[in-house]
Amino acid sequence: MAGQKSRIVAPPTTTLVIDNGGDTIKAGFVKPDHTDQPRIIPNCIARDRHNKVYVGAELEKCKDFGEIAFRRPVEKGFIVSWEVQKEIWDRAFFDDKSPQKCNPSETRLILAEQPNSLPALQTHCDQIVFEEYGFASYYRGIGPTFNSYQDIQAIFHTPRTADTIVDFPAEIILLIDSGYSSTIVTPILRGRPLQQAIRRLDIGGKLMTNYLTRLLSVRHFDMRNETYVVNEMKEAACYVSLDFKGDLDKTWKGTRGERREDYQTGAGIAKDYILPDSHTRFHGVLQEYEPGASTRARRGGLSTDDILTLRNERFVIPELLFHPSDIGMRQPGLADLVMQSLSALPVGLWPGLLANIVVVGGNAKLDNFIQRLQMELLERVPAECVVRVARPEDPVISTWLGASEFAQHAHAERLAVTKQDYEEHGAGWVARKFAAGLGVDGGL
Amino acid sequence: MNNFGVIEVAGIQTKATPGWAYVPDTGPSVPSLQPANRKRAARNLLGLTLSDLTARQENKLRKDLEALSRDNGRDVNIAIPPRKGRDKKQTPNVRRILQSQKTFVNYLDDYGATLADGGNGSGSASANASAVQTKASTPVAAASPAPTTMTTTTTTDVEISMNTSMTKRGVAAAKRAAAREKTAPVVEDVEMIDVPEEKQKEEEEKEEEEEEGYPADGSILPAYKKKPPQKHPGDEDPLLVSVVPPFPTDEELKSLMTALPLSYFDARATWREEEEGRYPVRVFCEVCGYWGRVKCIKCGVRVCALDCLESHKEECVTRYGL
Repeated sequence: MAGQKSRIVAPPTTTLVIDNGGDTIKAGFVKPDHTDQPRIIPNCIARDRHNKVYVGAELEKCKDFGEIAFRRPVEKGFIVSWEVQKEIWDRAFFDDKSPQKCNPSETRLILAEQPNSLPALQTHCDQIVFEEYGFASYYRGIGPTFNSYQDIQAIFHTPRTADTIVDFPAEIILLIDSGYSSTIVTPILRGRPLQQAIRRLDIGGKLMTNYLTRLLSVRHFDMRNETYVVNEMKEAACYVSLDFKGDLDKTWKGTRGERREDYQTGAGIAKDYILPDSHTRFHGVLQEYEPGASTRARRGGLSTDDILTLRNERFVIPELLFHPSDIGMRQPGLADLVMQSLSALPVGLWPGLLANIVVVGGNAKLDNFIQRLQMELLERVPAECVVRVARPEDPVISTWLGASEFAQHAHAERLAVTKQDYEEHGAGWVARKFAAGLGVDGGL
Repeated sequence: MNNFGVIEVAGIQTKATPGWAYVPDTGPSVPSLQPANRKRAARNLLGLTLSDLTARQENKLRKDLEALSRDNGRDVNIAIPPRKGRDKKQTPNVRRILQSQKTFVNYLDDYGATLADGGNGSGSASANASAVQTKASTPVAAASPAPTTMTTTTTTDVEISMNTSMTKRGVAAAKRAAAREKTAPVVEDVEMIDVPEEKQKEEEEKEEEEEEGYPADGSILPAYKKKPPQKHPGDEDPLLVSVVPPFPTDEELKSLMTALPLSYFDARATWREEEEGRYPVRVFCEVCGYWGRVKCIKCGVRVCALDCLESHKEECVTRYGL
């Protein structure tokens, strides 16, 4: 193995950790004495309505997000268009003026990828990393796995004594990564993903935003070119319903002529959303529902605001995660996804996995997400099983934080591949080494 | 079909014909509890391919889903802004990758083709992965059991035999173990004060190993080392006793941890055949999003009530046979 070979070049001390997500890149340096906070860079090239183009982090400079269009290097969670990805990386890490200037020849790269990638795409990734950038050392690992290098029990607030030794990686967790492109369930045992039980649901943040766009376009007005605005709205307004039937009833306007109390008052569910007008206000604002506000604005022309009243849109969107069949997708919902994953594993592991479910990714920020998941799981598992579902403080950067811990762990040294290795053995060997992962050994 | 003796008079099949007709609303799907006809099971499957989903609707559904996974509402082509000072020499590989205009669907098709070709799914990448694995993983060190776990061997044996097969011996062993569990607490109840410390310790150890039934020790997941919680009289209540599933053996765990990744297609969760139709498909009003309780007789779209039906009718355009 490469690790045991007498190495002339000392392994690089600086590590660049990148979680290259579908929507944003989470990137930061890990140095022996100090770990940066990750920087979140939009992973896209955007063009606004004045045909101005923004690459990656330049999007911060954009003010008017109306009719903005995106080109993304990542499709379905995998880096597909390296042409675009390279441009974004170049500006973020390798230009002279880039804020996170990186010298690849003295840096190790740790890159998080989505599980079950296509071999062709993996090879492309390895080739670009070594042949184009020339990183000194490199590891491409499955994103969810990195999460187990964090203090998982702290997320659950497990009571423990002060002298408890926290062992990395965590013994057993069931990680749910619900991101921009898809939602993936990964059981992880001692930092090794249990590959046979990884299950994917093709519903992510993007699909939910698009679904909201569709609903609004049918019910209010055409928002099809306003992806960014709708996404903001989704993040501000959507929540996971704990009582779908009840909430749906409350937001129903009733049959003809019926004046339902709940509908008139909003029942605490209806909210007004003031759309950006691209002159004075560039971001939408969520407000309490004011009966009649929307019609007043429209009829009287008192205010030029476009006010949308969101009712069942608020919880129907995230409901897709739990009932994909609502839009005709023939996949099990999240709770059944977990059960399918578990059914691929021996029953002896179930209690451990169910008691340590961690939800990461942007969708985990939805209100009530973890409560709903816990509720649905309790209905499905044996009564004796303890089900604990939790999300880290910031579910978006959780994978990155885990990967930064991993960078300092002995496992990183064991798994990483050097440029010399790559030149000597080729891309196929590298891919095989990464696929084999840690394996099982006594030392763990 | 066994409908509990109820004979249906009106046909389930609906046809979009000009004019109008009373149409029985059979609901989105009727889960047949015992499919009578095993033959064309795929066609008779419940859920979305039920009679009220024609090929046309199915097609529409597919297109809708595709539209939902797009990045932009319309087709856009954003060129990468040109920059100067970028004439670094590129290797042929890099040039090829950068110039590739393939989309994910293209790659997926290629991958599917390799799979169908008899490739093992991961192409060259993991063809020899198993070989690497054996190299990469040093053999499972027979983790020298810690002093406290020396006596656990018996329990391990019991566990394994329960695991592998319920042979007579296995059952007997299990019974013996159970018997031991039952008898042990009697010993424990007699809290002896003047027992020499060593003996007490030994007893405690025995308790830990035999009664508590913590999973057997293994090198991958070692047994719980800490002291078990306080005894409680309710522990022996058969109504309160919880079932501890047999713990997977090291071998099992090892094969799970070193298994190769599934292919992209396999990792996608789908309903298994026996699970399909476990939950009835919910239908919603196309206009307001409430339950879709009424069907438009022209196009079959679901709406909730008259109000929504009217607003739907304003734009309901269907040609006969479309």
